[in-house]
Amino acid sequence: MPTISMTVNGKSVSAEVEARTLLVQYLRESLGLTGTHVGCDTSQCGACVVHVNGESLKSCTMLAAQAEGADVTTIEGLANGDELHPMQEAFRENHGLQCGFCTPGMVMSALDLVQKNADPSEREVREWLEGNLCRCTGYHNIVKSILAGAKALRG
Amino acid sequence: MSETGIGVAIKRVEDLRFLTGNGHYTDDINQPDQSHAWILRSPHAHAKLNAVDTTKAESAPGVIAIFTGVDMAADGVGGLPCGWQIHNKDGSPMAEPGHPPLAVDKVRHVGDQIAIVIAETRDQARDAAELISVDYGILDAAINMDAALAGTTLVHDDVPNNRCFDWEIGDKDATDAAFGNADHVVSIDLANNRLIPNAMEPRAAISEFDRTTGRYTLYTTTQNPHVIRLLMGAFVLNIPEHKLRIVAPDVGGGFGSKIFHYAEEAILTWAAAKVHRPIKWTAERSESFVTDAHGRDHETHAELALDKDGKFLGLRRRDQGQCGALTSQPSARASRPISTRHFWRVCTRHRRFMPKCRPYSPTLSRWDAYRGAGRPECTYLLERLVSKAARDLGFDPVELRQKEHDSGRPVPLSDTGRAPVRLWGFPGDIRKRPKGIRL
Repeated sequence: MPTISMTVNGKSVSAEVEARTLLVQYLRESLGLTGTHVGCDTSQCGACVVHVNGESLKSCTMLAAQAEGADVTTIEGLANGDELHPMQEAFRENHGLQCGFCTPGMVMSALDLVQKNADPSEREVREWLEGNLCRCTGYHNIVKSILAGAKALRG
Repeated sequence: MSETGIGVAIKRVEDLRFLTGNGHYTDDINQPDQSHAWILRSPHAHAKLNAVDTTKAESAPGVIAIFTGVDMAADGVGGLPCGWQIHNKDGSPMAEPGHPPLAVDKVRHVGDQIAIVIAETRDQARDAAELISVDYGILDAAINMDAALAGTTLVHDDVPNNRCFDWEIGDKDATDAAFGNADHVVSIDLANNRLIPNAMEPRAAISEFDRTTGRYTLYTTTQNPHVIRLLMGAFVLNIPEHKLRIVAPDVGGGFGSKIFHYAEEAILTWAAAKVHRPIKWTAERSESFVTDAHGRDHETHAELALDKDGKFLGLRRRDQGQCGALTSQPSARASRPISTRHFWRVCTRHRRFMPKCRPYSPTLSRWDAYRGAGRPECTYLLERLVSKAARDLGFDPVELRQKEHDSGRPVPLSDTGRAPVRLWGFPGDIRKRPKGIRL
């Protein structure tokens, strides 16, 4: 079994895993970081989005071994102690979630959008969310949350 | 204005954990010494199980045990009950064929359960399941209403014409008289397509058995833990309620589909006492598609009788639906017509008659209540019918509704089923509707 090493939420981690282990499996089962969810297994739903070297990626469609040496950030790595990240706070303020299952992927995906486009239009937010599905909210409040989060991050 | 209460936005207590990755969904839970399950499912809609050979799979790496429907039946395990039956219009009970958690003699839809493989890891269980050899005697499938109605393919040998029930409600004579006196009769045919609820979180469960106390615990993705305890304990596994604990952690969406007791819950709970290890199972999305209870899927013909001024005199409707190959519960058979009936009564105070509500059982996944459970279908039907009447007879669609609203007495509470119903601000709302919504 190959040994893999990476940085997850600022901590160095290393483990022996089966070659077929997916990144999301490694995060959830080996590291116990269960905030990253598996909704569809097939890159459709986006509940598993994490950042790998600063880019949002679907961790259900990437082998853990492909993240060798990478810097990975999950939803657990965003808040600063008790203080929520502005994007998390924006979701909370704007009722951007109901059951919460898609939420980590939505937040991680939104953060990649605002680092590429600090002031997105509503349409740009909606287009960016093409790869993230939600079944509770109807998306309106998610879009509102992301626009508010982007505004807060611009300061 | 107070800081809490009506008109004030209140932050939800659960958002903090959901936003920081600290939610507690079933698949996030792991128990010490936990094993993992994979369910072997049918790739065929309808087939005899001539033989299920697990020999090769049993010696695969990591395998702890494999069980089939024969093992569960030999142990006296019952079938999943409907839980809320309905009677035919002639007073006879509806057909309620058996619903074994693991198929015994034949499979009745794609995804029907054949065997559970329990192993040290999920991958090992899945790999071993591929080594199970099943000899299928493929039978004709009845994949739509016409095929099920024809009755040439029987999904259950003891259910003639695949008919689950034939139900009616209303006052036939009074309704027929109203139609006889009508100046206009407008009719419409609507199909509500079958759909898959697709909660974001796939179904999952973890079962535990404590042999020192005889107690079972099941963590499951459910909207309805008490009903699972009742149905699974009393009807399927014969476990007394005080020995059975059902835990419903955070649930990642359900829309009704997680109300019902599912076969996997019974299989896992039963098997935990066989292997004396906790067992975890999580569905893949492709399993959700074929095993979560589907919604809608019915065809309706409806008629509205009006006088020359556009006053409504009576309503008639006829429904046929596809309830799927295996009984669901509590409401596959019952709640659709019943909740539709309640709403139907609230929406109109006129003579109404529903001569037929006949679900058939094609070789499709089970069917049950979904997002509104009959009410959206009823609203859709009434609004489409009234709009069609306005168009066909040359009335303004808003005025026709306004006239109906203003014309009579309020809906009495006794006429709304048992649920107290407030009259909503219909006339105001309909005029304030967003631009672009045509009636």
